[in-house]
Order: sequence, then structure tokens, then C-alpha cells
Amino acid sequence: MAGLELLSDQGYRIDGRKPDELRRIRCKLGVFTQADGSAYIEQGNTKVLAAIYGPREADQNMRNQICHDKCFLNCEYTQATFSTAERKHRSRGDRKGQDMSTHIKQTFEATIQTSLYPRSQIDIYLQVLQADGSNYCACINAASLALIDAGIAMKDYVCACSASLTKGKPVIDINHVEESSDCAELSVAILPKLGQIVYSELNGRLHANELPDVIDAVVRGCKDLFVVMDRTVREHLEETATTFTHS
Amino acid sequence: MLKSKTLMVKTRSGKILKIVREHYLRDDIDNGLLTDKLDLHPLLQNDLVPHEHFLVLDTNVILHQMDVIEHPCIKNVIILQTVLREVRHRSSPVYKRLSSILENPDKKFFVFTNEHCIETWTARKRKESSNDLNDRLIRIATKYYSDCLSDRNQQAVLLTNDEANCAFAVEEGLIAYTAEKYVKSVVGHPELLDKLAKVNEAIEVDRSISYPEHLKLSQLNSGIKTGRFKQGKLNISRENYLEGKILCPDVKGGEILIQGRLNLNRAVHEDIVAVELASEEEWSAPSDVMLDVSIQPGAEISDSVDKKVVSNAHRVPSGKIVGIIKRSWRPYCGILENYGTPGMTRHLFTPAERRIPRIRIETRQFKTLIGQRIVVAIDCWPKHSKYPQGHFVRSLGEIGDKETENEVLLLEHDVSHAPFSQAVLNCLPSPNWAIPEEELRKREDLRGFPICSVDPPGCTDIDDCLHFIDLNDGSGAVEVGVHIADVSHFIRPSTPIDEEAKCRGTTVYLCDKRIDMVPALLSSNLCSLRDDGDRLAFSCIWKMSLDAKILQTRFCKSVIRSKASLTYAQAQMMIDDPAKTDNVTVGLRGLNKLAKILKSRRILNGALSLASPEVRFHVDSETHDPIDLQTKELRDTNSMVEEFMLLANCSVAEHIQQEFPECAVLRKHPGPPPSNFDVLINAAKTKQLDLNTSTSRELAVSLDNAEKPQPGVNLYISTLLRILATRCMLQAVYFCSGLESDFKHYGLAAPIYTHFTSPIRRYSDIMVHRLLAASIGADVTFSELLDKQEIQKICNNLNFRHRMAQYAQRASVALHTQLFFRGKLVDEKGYIIFVRKNAVQVLIPKYGLEGTVFLDRDCEGNAMTMNNLNYVEQDCKIFVGSIALQVFDEVVVQISHDASNIQHQRINLKLVKPNLPGISSVPSES
Amino acid sequence: MSNSIVIRLPSKKRLNAQVPLSSNSFLITPGSVITEDADYMRGHGTYTNDDEEDHKLYASVAGVVERINKLVCVRALKTRYNGEVGDIVVGRIKEVQQKRWKVETNSRLDSVLHLSSVNLPGGELRRRSAADELTMREYLKEGDLISAEVQQVHTDGMLSLHTRSLKYGKLGQGCCVTVSPSLIKRRKNHVHNLSCGVTIILANNGYIWINSTAVDGTKTTGDGGFVVDTEPVQMDDREAICRVRNCILCLSRSSVMLYDTSVLYAYEASLQYQVKELLLDEIATEIVDQTLSLLERESSGNG
Repeated sequence: MAGLELLSDQGYRIDGRKPDELRRIRCKLGVFTQADGSAYIEQGNTKVLAAIYGPREADQNMRNQICHDKCFLNCEYTQATFSTAERKHRSRGDRKGQDMSTHIKQTFEATIQTSLYPRSQIDIYLQVLQADGSNYCACINAASLALIDAGIAMKDYVCACSASLTKGKPVIDINHVEESSDCAELSVAILPKLGQIVYSELNGRLHANELPDVIDAVVRGCKDLFVVMDRTVREHLEETATTFTHS
Repeated sequence: MLKSKTLMVKTRSGKILKIVREHYLRDDIDNGLLTDKLDLHPLLQNDLVPHEHFLVLDTNVILHQMDVIEHPCIKNVIILQTVLREVRHRSSPVYKRLSSILENPDKKFFVFTNEHCIETWTARKRKESSNDLNDRLIRIATKYYSDCLSDRNQQAVLLTNDEANCAFAVEEGLIAYTAEKYVKSVVGHPELLDKLAKVNEAIEVDRSISYPEHLKLSQLNSGIKTGRFKQGKLNISRENYLEGKILCPDVKGGEILIQGRLNLNRAVHEDIVAVELASEEEWSAPSDVMLDVSIQPGAEISDSVDKKVVSNAHRVPSGKIVGIIKRSWRPYCGILENYGTPGMTRHLFTPAERRIPRIRIETRQFKTLIGQRIVVAIDCWPKHSKYPQGHFVRSLGEIGDKETENEVLLLEHDVSHAPFSQAVLNCLPSPNWAIPEEELRKREDLRGFPICSVDPPGCTDIDDCLHFIDLNDGSGAVEVGVHIADVSHFIRPSTPIDEEAKCRGTTVYLCDKRIDMVPALLSSNLCSLRDDGDRLAFSCIWKMSLDAKILQTRFCKSVIRSKASLTYAQAQMMIDDPAKTDNVTVGLRGLNKLAKILKSRRILNGALSLASPEVRFHVDSETHDPIDLQTKELRDTNSMVEEFMLLANCSVAEHIQQEFPECAVLRKHPGPPPSNFDVLINAAKTKQLDLNTSTSRELAVSLDNAEKPQPGVNLYISTLLRILATRCMLQAVYFCSGLESDFKHYGLAAPIYTHFTSPIRRYSDIMVHRLLAASIGADVTFSELLDKQEIQKICNNLNFRHRMAQYAQRASVALHTQLFFRGKLVDEKGYIIFVRKNAVQVLIPKYGLEGTVFLDRDCEGNAMTMNNLNYVEQDCKIFVGSIALQVFDEVVVQISHDASNIQHQRINLKLVKPNLPGISSVPSES
Repeated sequence: MSNSIVIRLPSKKRLNAQVPLSSNSFLITPGSVITEDADYMRGHGTYTNDDEEDHKLYASVAGVVERINKLVCVRALKTRYNGEVGDIVVGRIKEVQQKRWKVETNSRLDSVLHLSSVNLPGGELRRRSAADELTMREYLKEGDLISAEVQQVHTDGMLSLHTRSLKYGKLGQGCCVTVSPSLIKRRKNHVHNLSCGVTIILANNGYIWINSTAVDGTKTTGDGGFVVDTEPVQMDDREAICRVRNCILCLSRSSVMLYDTSVLYAYEASLQYQVKELLLDEIATEIVDQTLSLLERESSGNG
């Protein structure tokens, strides 16, 4: 009986959401003037800033990574000291951050049309201001918006969402409380318009029979997220495009 | 849908944590008023509330008045999320009971998710405690309901036990009562009053006794952290209800003794308590006195448990209880003591469990309840009350009535024996179910094989069959098959029938009754491998050499047709009859031969053969009263079946552990700690027998040596030693292989073991079947099957159920022994198996009966001074005057049924030989 | 001093009056299908799937769809600079290499300025000697700003620049403003001497150079444009430069296309305010509004 009841018999989660509901999403494009592209996203209490620099001349230190037929991605994930309940200094190279950077990089390598930018470099900087579960997903979504803001050619948006399974029901967009219980956590990034999964990661164990349900739920979650993101991008476009076409 | 946030700042272990959680408020939450989850017109009449009304319950009402709430007349209740969460947090048994009410649609209980409803949510005020916040939330929700209901001319009534909360509610214009006041005014259900728990007022105030105050939980926690207090589960001695101990690994001996009423300080058996260790000079020794309440009903045994001369050597860490961390009260079965005045409402209740103190209750039904077995729950234990106080829950029936007594022992051992629910029965196939074609095609067809079953007479749930074929392939190899009923084919995971079986865990065999784990249609028909048709089976087939070496093991799902359902005796006769040469008989002979080889090899490996006195009652077919009893006989065929079952279990265990190293269900038997054997070694020494207990093999060898006849040692002694050895053992337990590393089975001397062969009566076997089926591709896995935590949880329940089933079985034997001796007076030979300070324990092999002969009481049962007793612990010897009684001594006792005390009927043992003046009884005529 | 710092909460950007987009240009986001017609040619910001069956044309960036005959492009609203031959750029020297300079011009790759593409002191027809290679750093060193023209666009997107005109060369005292390249309107002339005594170079790569006309005028031919005047600039000129800079920032924040007229109108509109007030939200909005209405009046007058 110990532990929290993640899903009540009445069908509500601890924070009052139903299993298939996302947290509140707020996002914004173009938050920095210096960066080529930038975005900020809040998924509930998970708050992430993304900044894109490039495509630009590759840094001399990265010379070994330069490709002559495509650009390479450099991704840095950092978490603020004040992002979790306990203040904790996280050095730039800590394992968790490096893993996360690699995962994010892999996700976008599949999506950015890198062959359009030979010999270049694109930097993706992600800063988690507040971590309340599904950090990876919020980072992907923020980076996706920032890349669009930077005008970098991509096949599609990338939308990511996480899910877990409790009492036999898939719950999506899990927060920190749900994340720290011992359920499995599935993070999936998809290309919503093309309907392709570009990344998926499962922490913990999930039975093969239950996986399809969870994936269905998580893909639905991604698509809901996409609607919000697309609306934000369109609003941003309209804002900047109206006077633009004046000429 | 509206959203908002709350901020919470918590501190833990000195560090400041800022925990921010989202809290969404919604406007789409069902309040239950428009659905059929609550009646449109609630009907419970109450003098206090003239209108139709719904009840809103406060947490404390649910925690204390569950028996009232469970009464069928209490309907249309709104349970708030706030309350439900609190209940879940505070008491898991109450939460379980509440959950089962919530599942019952007739009760019309509805859970309102008030904290996420935009209209009933409120933020915590500055410096408001969480209790006050919860109270306020409850009041706000009640207000919301009364507003919603005012259009319909109905009302919401808040019931709370908290006077302050009640007053606040009334101030805010709500209708609120304390539960007591409300229940007293309910129209038409006077019986509710008895069920009312009185938490706030003491029924009995006895200024002569004043227990020390319990410390607050926060004080206890800090005390435990600093090491001043020890935490543990109180285990009251079976022999002496004023003595208990807690396990505590950091003191010498691992246990802390708590003696005396005041030191126990209102703690009840199995409560989690905090104990303060006394200084070393105050330590005392466990009393060897048998303290028996029932012998002197009503009279109080002096609290001064003789503190006299306790030699230093016997002193053990002692302490006193300073506070209760968690109560684990449950409803107790028992009887009312009848020395009270019938006209009074206050009475004492004696629980059947010896370790529970008597309970003060209030009832107006004394006249009907006296002479009945009743169930009572404890409500509280005030400081100035000698006994805890409680309330009447329900009556079970007449004392002495066999049905009632069975009910009592089932309840006391937490055996769920209610008929299977409709949902469970719905999972069953139809009674004339036949094996479908499709299933036949998927399985191996073994219907032509000479398969037979061998079981005790009258067995209807046959779960194992055997076959033996000489392969005649020149290599001398033979094929042996064990076929087990394929229960997992019928019990699919996560169905109600599966849940029920998982909860029951095992079939419980009482002397005259069987409490099935699965409905009878499966246990006695479809899954019972009778010789009347085709059955589905799970087969384990070995290719063996003639010296019983396994050459090859194979598992498959199969269809079989048993050629014969035999009893042990029948099978033995067939084997012994040289005229018989049919397939089955030849097979039995082959099996028997192999079994003997297997057994000798097993024993060589160090498997123990232990003994326990087992008896079987002959029951009158009409009255179901026992008319005779006999001890179980052992034939070759018994051990033949057993050998192959052990072999199958071992093979399966090995296989599933290989296939599912993380989540195999296995059974292990830990070796007992050496100190457990002290009693046995001491007892054996008295007969100049030296036992070596360092390994199971050595123990087996020394027990065998004891069997050789020696001068001055009676022949029964080896059996007695085996019985004693059995009592030194630890319990074998189920566990999940992913969570432990030691798989050894001590008793069987097997490196790995599980239960595979009795899926009809054990749930563990069903789990093993599922794993095995998945491993051979005959079935699919599912998530719970592979979740090791989940498996361990189930295993823990199974272990508990098995233990309880065993206790219930013993209790049932005891009950039947009593019934058997009713009105009889028999002199019988017995052996002393334990010697205590004031008594000896005697085992009477003929009846498998064990009892205590008190040496400090005369033959009428009155206490005597015990100055002529001289107890020598080292030699397990006691001198009564000049006559010595020593362990393993043969004595003659007179067995009688003592019904003088209707409350506690019992078997009385009196010593006949040796004749002790003043103590012994005259030999009976017979 | 205390009231000289203004701190504000972020405010929602004012939505500009909605101007209907023309029929063959509309907004699109990445991954959306632009057309299912296989006849169109795919231009920048679009892609097709390799799949034989799938003839759809997808957008790869968020922006405005533009169709020119059969060519379909999606123009992103904010990107790096995509150079074209003949463009004027302002860039910063990043590295001095053998026979060439690397110039940062806000494009994907650094641009190169060959030693052979500059006018060296001492006349146009002078031969480049080995000595010149050694003294390259004397002409242009890391951090120097130059204006130049795009001479060539390589296949990988790299630009070659030249400064073989008196118009181009090292930039001296002045102010550089960075805006999105897409805000610079393509014109015949990108260097404007404004009436207020300020010269602006609205370079195509989004780097805008502002300096005083008077200083600019002193440039002589003899030194090849590598010597800059270090005389202090007059206070009035400095204020005018700042005013122009702030006006350009105001316009770029509201995504108004930048060209001589728009800058001039904004300058005129700003005259009623102090220079330091110009970047305050309300005033900036006011200036942009006035500029837009002036521009509109002009275009309707022309029409």
C-alpha cells in the first residue's frame, strides 16, 4: 500500500490530469536576438530554453568532425543548478548530460537536411531551467522550434512525448513524481506530419504485449503537442511576415 | 479545463528541498449526483435530519466506524478524495475494506475527486496544518454538495468524530453531526448501536491502573533515530499473554523481552511498537511458567511475575514499551464472559487467540450473545482502563457447534472461505466442457499411454499422474512421465478467477472440509485427472537409465487419458500381485523400482526424513462428528509418487530458472541457525545420543543412527527425535529468483526446487506452469509474470497463506480431537517431549495429541504452591518431590474433555503414571 | 541615475495589421505538403521524397511560399545570408591566411577575400609580390571591418569577395548594426548618403554600417582604402549616427523592410524624441507606425 497512487480509481492522476492529457504547454520562438534561432518551452513545470547557432563555419577544434557533404551537429545539454528540488551543481560533462546530448543529437541528425549545409556546423544549446519530468521531450520540442526559427531545413517538426504505464493504463507526458515511481518510462520522438518515429527510449521494463498501447498513446500525445507547436510557429510567422511582405 | 498550481516547500533530512508540483483544477469532474452511482432519493431515515440526505464522511469516522459503515443500511455516501487518500495513508486494512465497499454498487458509495474540482479546491493558508486544511477541504466539499442539492430539497450531512470540525461546520451553516449522535438517531436499525466504536469516551475507568502515557510519534521517531528506542513488531508469547518480545538485531540475543502489563503498556500482539531498553540490572528472564487465562476465568493473575531470583545467566535484554508506532488490530473471534450481570451493557470479551487481551465492550444483546462465538473489534485502549475497549461486530453462531467452530478457525487464520463470487464463476467453462479439436491439435496426444494416478483414498482433486514405458531400444533406457493437471489452461491471467486464486493462494484442508482455491468444477472435475475421460495435462517426460539417471528431460502440453485412479493401497496390491502383468501394473513396478533408487540417492545427499504425528479422523457420515481416528500409514507407493513429484519439481525448477533467471518462482528452505538445535541436542544427550547437526546430511545420518536399538532406549525415540528435529526447522518459502541468490532447499538437500505438481491446490504451481508454458512456447508471457517485484509480492502472500493454512489445519485437528474426546475418559501411553518449569509437555502417539500436564496444580486443576518442584534445565529434567520426570520418559496420562468451562473447551491431561501424590489422577476404569 | 534604468516585463508583441498575402504566396511550416502536382520544380526550402510513388513537394523550412512560373521556393523569414554575385556585404576579418583573408559575413561558411581581389596601395595595376603576402596583416588584420562585393559563389556556398572599387574597403569610425539579411531590400544602390549627414551601407548580408558622410568623404585613392581617418568625430555627427542606428533597430524589431526611404522616414519620425528614448517600446512603436503610414501614403501616391 505504500507509495503514491499514480492513477486513482476515478481516473485522475496525482496532478489532476486524465491519463491521456498533456500538461499545459506554453512556447515562444525567437527569444534571443544574438542566436540564429531560439525558443522557449514550458511543459507544465519543465522549462527549457533552446538556442541554435549556425549553420556556420566549423570551429577549428571540431576539425575532425567536418564532413564535406553535410554539416555536423553539436549539441550541449545543461541543467541549471536550481532546476530540481535540491540545488545541485552539475558540471558540463556529467554523464547524464552527455547521454542526453547524444540522444538529442541523434534525433535531429535524422531530421535536419544536413546535406544542404556542407562543411558547416550547427550548434544546439539546451538549458533546462526547471526539471519536472520528461526533460528529454521538452528539449526536443524546444530545439525543434528553435531550428524552425533559425530557418534550418528539416523534413518535419520533431515532437517528443513520454509515457508510462500504471494500473494497466498508459499515461502520457509524465511528470517528476510519476517518473520517480518505479514504472517504465518510454520517450518517443516522431515526425508528426510524416508519421515516423525517429527516436524511442525505454527506461525500465515493459511487457511486449503492452508496448503497442503505450506507443499509440505516446504518438497521440506527440500529435497533440504538434498542434500546439504548429500554432505557435504560425503565429510567429504571421507576426514577422506581415510587414515583411510590405515591400 | 482550468489549470492552476500549488507550491509546496518541504524539508527533509536537514536539506532544503523546494518541491513544486502542478495541481490542475477541472470543471468536468463528476459529482455523482446525476448518475446512478448515488440514488436520486436516498432513503435512510434519521430523526435528526428530516430531509432526504447524503452522507459525507470525515476520515476519522471511516477509520473508527468501519463496522457501522459496512452495515447494509448505510447507503448513499460521498467519499471525498481527501478522505480516501488519508485513509489509505493511515490504515491499509480499513482502506481495503473501504475499497471493497466502493466496488459494491448496492452500497451507493461515490468517490468525489474534490481536490481537482475547481469549485471545491482551496489553497493552504499560512501556517495551516495539513489536518486543518483537510478538514476545511471536507467542509468546502460538503458546502458544495448542499448547494447542489438545495434545488432538489435534499441535504448533505457531514459526519465527523472531531468536535472542533463539527462546530466549525455548523458555524458555516452546514449540517454536521458526530457519528455517534447520528447513528443513535437512525430509525429502524437498533443493532447499529452495538457496532459503534467509542473512541472518545472510556467505558470503564479504573483508577487502580494507570498506564504510562504513550509518547508522540515524532518523539518516537527521533528516539529511534538516536537509538534510544528500538522499533519492532510485538510478538506475545503463546504461553504467557503478559510476556512478549520484539526482534531487534542490535542487542544481544537479537530479541528484547517485555514483561508485565505495565511494561507492555497497552500494546497488542503484532503491533509495531517502540521499546526502551532497560538498564542491565533490570533485565529479567523469560518465565518458563505456562500462564493460562482460561483456567481461572475472571480472576486476575498477579502482575508480579515472580521477579525473584533470576540467575544472571538467564537474563536477557528487557525493556518497556514507550509508544505505539502502528496498531495492527483486526476483528477478533471469541466469546463473552458470562460472569457479568445480564442486565448490564458492559461486558468482557475473551478472544480465541490466547495472545490477545480481553476486550471490554458495550452491548445490549448480552442474553443472545452469551453462549455464542462473536467477532469484536478493538477501538481504543484508554489510560485508565485495564482492558482495551471495543465494539461488537457480528455473531458467528453457537459455541461448540462444529460449523461455528470451523468458521472461527477460518476467520482467525484469515482463510477466505466465502462462496466464489459470480464474477469468478463466470470464468468457468460449462460443466460438460469437452476438449475442443483445436486444442487437441496443439497438444501432444498421450492418450494411448499407460497413465495412472495414485492418491489417498477419497481424493477428488487428482492433480498428478504417472506413466512408465520400457523403451526397449537396446540402451536399457526407460521413459517416465509425470502428468500434471493443466490448470493454467482454464485460469487465464488477470481474470477474476485468477485474482481470487492468487488471493486464496492454497486450498485449505480441514478435517471435515476442504476450502478450495479454485471452484469445484475445476478442482474435482475438469482439472482432476480422473480415469473417466480425456484431460488436459502438462507433462514432464524423462528418458532415464535403469539406475534412475536422467538422460533427457522434455516438457509438453498434452492430452491424457488416465487408465486407473488408484489409492496407495490398491497400487501396492497391484505391485505385489505377481499375477498381474498389464501395462499399468508393469509400469507401477518399474516406477517403484526407480523411486527406491531415487530415494536412496536423495538420502545419501543429505535429505532429511522427518516426522510429525499425523492422524486421520473417521467421520460419521451423518453427524460429521469424528468417531475414530488413526495415524497415517506409509506404504511404498506413497513414497513412490512423492519421489517422482520431487524429481519433476526439481527438473522444472532448473528449467525455469534457466529460462527466466530474473523472475522464476522457486521454493527454498533455509538451513536453521545452529542454536535452533540446542533443545534437540540436549534432549538427545539425556539418552546418550550424540547428534551432529552441522549439515543436513550429518543430521540425517545421526538420526538414522538413533534408530538402531540400544539398551535402555525405547524404540519410539527415533520418531520422537524426528518430531523434535522438525520443530527446529525453519519454514520453506516461495521467492522470486531475481531477488535472492541462495536457492538451496535444506530439507530436500536440493540445489534448486519449486512447486509444479499441484496446481489445483497451490497458486505457486499455477505461476510455475505459466512460466514453463511460456518457456516452451505453448503460451505467451504477460507483464506481471515477468515483474520480479510483483512476483515477490505474490510469493509473500502465498507464504503467508500457506502458513495460515497449516495453522488452520492444526487447529482443525485440535478441534476434532476435542470433539472426539467429548464424554470420554481414556488412559493412554505418552512421551514427554518438553520439560518446563511447572509443567511437562506430553505427546500421545496414538492420537497424535500433544498437551501440557501442569505439575503445580492438583488433579482438580487448582493451583498449588510449587515449592517441591525442582527444574534442571540442563538435563531436561524436573523433580516432583523425589520423582523425576525427564524428556522422552514414557508416561501414562488420562485424557478427558473438559467442558466445565464452556468458554474454552479443552482437552485435559492428567498424569496417571508415574503417580505423583496430589497431582496424579486415579486410573480410569477402562 | 536611479531613473535611467528601465526594467519591464516582457510584453506580447503587437500584432501588425493583417495584410492579406497574395494568392501565390502563403505561409507554410516544415513537413507540410506544398503541392501534389509533380510538374513544379523544386527550389530552396523544399524537398521531395525519394519514393517513386510520392510526387508531393514538401516544405523544409517555415516561411513564405513563393512561386515563380514552375519554380516553387519557401523563403524562411530568418536565415543566414545566402550570397549572390554582385551583392554588397559588410564583413569582419576573422583570419589572415596565405594570400587570402577569411571574412565573417553571416553566411554559412566564412567568405574569402583573396589578396588578388583587393586594391593595394600604389595603383591598380601593381603586381602582387611576395612582400605583399608578408605585409597582408598591415592592410587588414583580424577584427577589421570591411565592405566588399560578392565576386563568386562556390558550390558549397562559400563566397569570394573583392574590394576592387573605391566604394569598398576598410571601414573606419562608425557603427555596425546586425539585422536579419531578409530585411534588407534588394536595390540598385545599397550605399546611401542620408540628408542628415550620415552614410549608411545597407549590406545584403544584414550587416549595416553607419558613419558620418564627412569622414567618408575624406577617403583618398592613394592608400587603397586601407588607411582610416582617426580624427574625432563631431558630437552632432555622433548623435546623428546613434539616431539612425536606433531607428534601424526599431524597424528591424518590427520586421519592416530596410531601404533608404524607410530609414529616412523613420529618422524623420524620430526627430521629436531624444535619441536615448527611441528604443523604449511605446516610442519605437510610434516611430514604426509613422514610418509605415508614410510608406503607405507614398506607395498609394505612386499607384
